[in-house]
Amino acid sequence: MMSNVMNALDISAAGMRVQGDRMRVTAENIANADTAANTPNADPYRRKTVTFKNVMDRQKGVDIVKVDKILEDKSDDFRLKYQPSHPGADENGYIRLPNINTLVESMDMREAQRSYEANLGMLGIARSMINRTIDIIKA
Amino acid sequence: MLENIGVMRGIGGKMDWLNQRQVILSGNIANADTPGYRPYDIEEVDFSKIMGRSSQTANINPVTTKSNHMGPAKPGEADTHKSKDVYEAAPAENSVILEEQLIKAQKTQSDYALITNLYKKNVGMINIAIGK
Repeated sequence: MMSNVMNALDISAAGMRVQGDRMRVTAENIANADTAANTPNADPYRRKTVTFKNVMDRQKGVDIVKVDKILEDKSDDFRLKYQPSHPGADENGYIRLPNINTLVESMDMREAQRSYEANLGMLGIARSMINRTIDIIKA
Repeated sequence: MLENIGVMRGIGGKMDWLNQRQVILSGNIANADTPGYRPYDIEEVDFSKIMGRSSQTANINPVTTKSNHMGPAKPGEADTHKSKDVYEAAPAENSVILEEQLIKAQKTQSDYALITNLYKKNVGMINIAIGK
């Protein structure tokens, strides 16, 4: 294993990138919170979730975090709304709205933000260590 | 030239160790939301052991005749292991606690500041000795 503090920068950058992807998917969920199906009894938009995995970067010799899969939330707790004029309304006049709870999504977004900040903090620490090393020359 | 001075080698070893630890802690933070991930940590550095090793002048290593021959581990390289006593684990079996990792990272940073200052002091002492 290469013990180079420069690798810490790459790892933190990868961490920030995956949190950015997670924020994108969460934003997609919030944007589609009211995307109902256009035809009766069809499924509306499904909530998407992101999972992460660790892959070995052979060139650098370190494990880098990557987005594993962006999968759909399998739960079927679609919200029902009475709206008989909607093209996707069933025989009782209800439309099915996505299984998205905007509160959950905003918490997810906040968590991604905190993780992003933590990665940014690690980047700052690694950078200050590099600067310390450079300062030796100035002594 | 400075590598021939034991304490300088010790300081170099400690700097290596701190760099390595920083890489590992960065990996832990980057995986703060990876399911099933357990944080890693690095074997504590034993300064007296480093000093003992650095004072040995003759290192006996097998001859490497090809570039893909693997040599023995370098003296500065410490073993990494999965942390056993973590604060807590999330339902997705991820046990990276950001606070815990950041405390370790801050400690690594301040130790690094200490060790680089120590290095400067030693260089200053040598400068006095050679009358600069």
